[in-house]
Amino acid sequence: MTTINNYSETQDNTPAAMARTVTASKQPVSVAKTVDTQSVLKRLQSELMSLMMSGDPGITAFPEEDNIFCWKGTICGSKETVFEGTEYKLSLQFPTDYPFKSPKVKFETMCFHPNVDVYGNICLDILQDKWSSAYDVRTILLSIQSLLGEPNTSSPLNTQAASLWSNQEEYRKMVIKTYKPASA
Amino acid sequence: MVMEPKSSTCNLGILDSLGDESIDELLKSWEGFRVSTEVLLKDNGDLSVGSDFVSNVHVLCKHGLDSLLQDFFLRSLEETFERNEASKFWQHFDAYSDLAMPEINPFEMKEDCVQKVLCKALEEICLEKGYQEKCLLMLVHALLSYQEVISKGRHPSDVERVRLLSRYQLMVSSVLMTSLPRHFPDILRLYFKERLEELSTMMAGEYEDDNETQVKDDMDLDERTKLSSRVGDMDVDETYHERKISENNKLVKNIGKVVRDLRSLGFTSMTEDAYASAIFMLLKRTVHILAGDDYRSSVLESIKEWIQAVPLQFLRALLAYLGDSVSYDGPSSGLKSPLASHPSSCYPGSDTPSEGLVRWQLRLEYFAYETLQDLRIAKLFEIIVDYPDSSPAIEDLKQCLEYTGQHSKLVDSFISALRYRLLTAGASTNDILHQYVSTIKALRIIDPTGVFLEAVGEPIRDYLRGRKDTIKCIVTMLTDGPGGNPNGPGNSGDSLLEELNRDEENQENTGCDDDFNSDDKQAWINAECWEPDPVEADPLKGSRNRRKIDILGMIVGIIGSKDQLVNEYRVMLAEKLLNKSDYEIDSEIRTLELLKIHFGESSMQRCEIMLNDLIDSKRTNANIKATLTQSSQRGGEQGEAGVSLHHLDATIISSNFWPPIQDESLNVPGDVDHLLSDYAKRFNEIKTPRKLMWKKNLGTVKLELQFEDRAVQFTVPPLHAAIIMQFQDQTSWTSKNLAAAIGVPVDTLNRRINFWISKGILSESLGTESDNHIFTLLDGVVDTSRNGVNSANCEELLAADEEGERSVASVEDQLLKEMIVYEKFIMGMLTNFGSMSLDRIHNTLKMFCVADPPYDKSVQQLHSFLSGLVSEEKLELRDDTITSAFTHLCQFWVLGSLQNTPDQSLSDSLKSINLCLKLWIFSMHLSSAILKMAIRL
Repeated sequence: MTTINNYSETQDNTPAAMARTVTASKQPVSVAKTVDTQSVLKRLQSELMSLMMSGDPGITAFPEEDNIFCWKGTICGSKETVFEGTEYKLSLQFPTDYPFKSPKVKFETMCFHPNVDVYGNICLDILQDKWSSAYDVRTILLSIQSLLGEPNTSSPLNTQAASLWSNQEEYRKMVIKTYKPASA
Repeated sequence: MVMEPKSSTCNLGILDSLGDESIDELLKSWEGFRVSTEVLLKDNGDLSVGSDFVSNVHVLCKHGLDSLLQDFFLRSLEETFERNEASKFWQHFDAYSDLAMPEINPFEMKEDCVQKVLCKALEEICLEKGYQEKCLLMLVHALLSYQEVISKGRHPSDVERVRLLSRYQLMVSSVLMTSLPRHFPDILRLYFKERLEELSTMMAGEYEDDNETQVKDDMDLDERTKLSSRVGDMDVDETYHERKISENNKLVKNIGKVVRDLRSLGFTSMTEDAYASAIFMLLKRTVHILAGDDYRSSVLESIKEWIQAVPLQFLRALLAYLGDSVSYDGPSSGLKSPLASHPSSCYPGSDTPSEGLVRWQLRLEYFAYETLQDLRIAKLFEIIVDYPDSSPAIEDLKQCLEYTGQHSKLVDSFISALRYRLLTAGASTNDILHQYVSTIKALRIIDPTGVFLEAVGEPIRDYLRGRKDTIKCIVTMLTDGPGGNPNGPGNSGDSLLEELNRDEENQENTGCDDDFNSDDKQAWINAECWEPDPVEADPLKGSRNRRKIDILGMIVGIIGSKDQLVNEYRVMLAEKLLNKSDYEIDSEIRTLELLKIHFGESSMQRCEIMLNDLIDSKRTNANIKATLTQSSQRGGEQGEAGVSLHHLDATIISSNFWPPIQDESLNVPGDVDHLLSDYAKRFNEIKTPRKLMWKKNLGTVKLELQFEDRAVQFTVPPLHAAIIMQFQDQTSWTSKNLAAAIGVPVDTLNRRINFWISKGILSESLGTESDNHIFTLLDGVVDTSRNGVNSANCEELLAADEEGERSVASVEDQLLKEMIVYEKFIMGMLTNFGSMSLDRIHNTLKMFCVADPPYDKSVQQLHSFLSGLVSEEKLELRDDTITSAFTHLCQFWVLGSLQNTPDQSLSDSLKSINLCLKLWIFSMHLSSAILKMAIRL
């Protein structure tokens, strides 16, 4: 019979606090209100990193030129919704006390949607009163993407769109008609 | 007489003024003169007609016909000479007419008689010539005596005689030259060659005899001892030497006679050519023989000695015999040649050498240098291959080049040799690097300024940059001591580690120097020994101060940055450290210290932490073992499990500072797992806030398999151990079940289990499903002989297995991972901004890509990466009509990831046109590009 003797092993360990990829949700919330710019920068940089690496289809964003507080975003209309095949540009403005305040998010492309007005303002709870520092760029973009397919018709900014929502075929036509692809 | 009417017409004026009587007298004298001339010039000349001749000449001169009779006389001389002597002379050489075609065997046989024939012919013709000269002198005499009568005792000048003799001389040489057979120069050359060879063998004997310092390879030991014993009695040698010289003198005298005869016939330059070329041929051959293909000894000195001993001796004797320095120059002037201070023992009893001789010596030495240099340059590649041994040859070459200054020849020839022989796909990177190092070392000797090294090194560096394993090889060379590389040529001199050591010593030395010398003094010394760069220096490459030759620097220069090198070293070090079963890292520490000196503390910091981890691990491990002994004294229940903590050694690493480590899940057998957690617990007790996270797939396991009849020991990776331990309780497994039990994918299992199958421990058979194999433990049925062989090979197999299974991610893998990050960033920014210029992409990456490690690539690297993405059709490059000078303005678009509607691409075009217009302001060349874009719109 086989017996195995003398089992010695050399192994390695990694300290738990390695934390190479810091996701936003892990960020400490209990930091004092007076946040220095440095930590905001860090937070935004790590958000960018995780957004880039996550590779979620149909959403992306990137800082403009040399200002990391000012991002451009892109959202694709989800499949099997009336917004399928469209692509909307967004602008994201981060406050200096981010993530304690929500960023200002606007549509740059004209979007025919019950919760988006003609100026591109968005009515979305997490961008207003329901904001939490646990949210990050990725979750915002994902929320907006899902908002496109599931509008909140009860408190519309665009009443025409809200009333048309029930007729999906007509709504689709309207979306195509109003859709103007953003100039690059 | 053919000449008569012609000469009459010339003198018609004189004839007119003559009366009949005078004409009669004239005609009679002329006739008499003609006849006596003929008699004189006949083969067996008769000088008895002399008085008759003289009176006739007098009469003719009286009538003023002296020039006519001179002409006539010379003409008859010429005719006779041409008819008889010249043809006879050339007839001697008819037998050698095939000489014109060199290297024909029959002529080899004739060689020895060339000398005889030539001597005889020369003797004859000189005799004849002497006679004719005598005749001429008679005429001169007659003319002179007439003149004497006329001028009544006024002493006649020598002018007439000299003039006539030189006319005769000219005539002789022109006759000979016009009838010169083509093979005559060859005959002369052959003659001199033979003579010289004879002389050189004679001299060489003597030269060998009286030069005990002479190092000849073929000289056997006996002779050498004999020679050294003779050092004492040089007096005896001296007389012996004299005798030899006299023997030589006889030979030289013979040659001298031939040369003199030839000169008198007007072959001066031809003769000189002949013996010069013979000497040069001989010199060339001697250089080739002396130098040969042996690079381990310096030959320059012996060549010089040979030049002194043979050709110069010959020339000296020859010139002395001919008694002339006339053909070269006047008496040696006050202008002393550098060699005048070189009154050598080689010319016993001679004064300072004449100017001609000095000139010959310089010529010969130059030729020798050049020949040797050509010889060495042609073989420079081989010389450098066995560099440390061939340094005498390099030293020789250096001296030659200093003399001839033909460095560029060396560079060209060596580069082409490199291209042809080294920089080919067949040469291993290791060999190329070794050769590169040798080249640096060798050329450093030849040219301390490093100008030529730079030229030669360039192609090698370029080539090495194209090889993937260059960095790896360099690091191996750096870290492994001599003999650490079994595949390489194994020269002890080419380990870079040694270079590191030397470097360190140098630094220490210079450190000392600095203490002794004040800065001012040093600066003064530096200024004093300043030399201009060689003319070949490329002014773009900076002055010599910056061109310090430093082998490591040049090696690092191949890679471009030291960071890459350090990174690769880190990976290799990690691999090495992780595979260590003890904590012995002395050699690594030493290497690291040396590298730190060279690359700076900060860049090696991570490596230092890695080594410190090992040291800490050793201590921690010991501490944990100590707690174990305490607890086992108290409890003592641990022993019966068969595996105790005593057998477990852990390496604890701070993984932030280590290269990324391959992670692979693995279920270790229960008791081992228990052991590991126990160890971790104890660790936690000692170092409280810290906890251990095991990397179970790494490390080594020493195990012994005990069968009924035998026991086999193995050292294997943990996964292998885990596999075989599963067979402890159950002798047969299907691959799926086994993989599940161990917690690895099936294909990984299949790959690893091959190790045990090849060892004959397990056997594999096809199960019910095609991909579900059954592995069974072979219990002692394997014949031991096979097993014996296997266990011998165990280590090798393990090593081979390890090859594809590294515990640390290689640098390429890391790079690939980085590139994936960059690709995602680039995609992200391009999706949001539509199109961007290369510069902007570069800047944006620099600003926002703060991954670990941060973006540190150059624009060029980014460009090639983007080009790769373009060729993968992930990106699109527009405006490719813009020439490469403007690549940084090229635009990149994302393809595919977001659907472009036609409208959108239109707007893209619009943007790019804007860009082009901007460009146009800078360069008119782009007008065609704009045109193109406009048309596309």
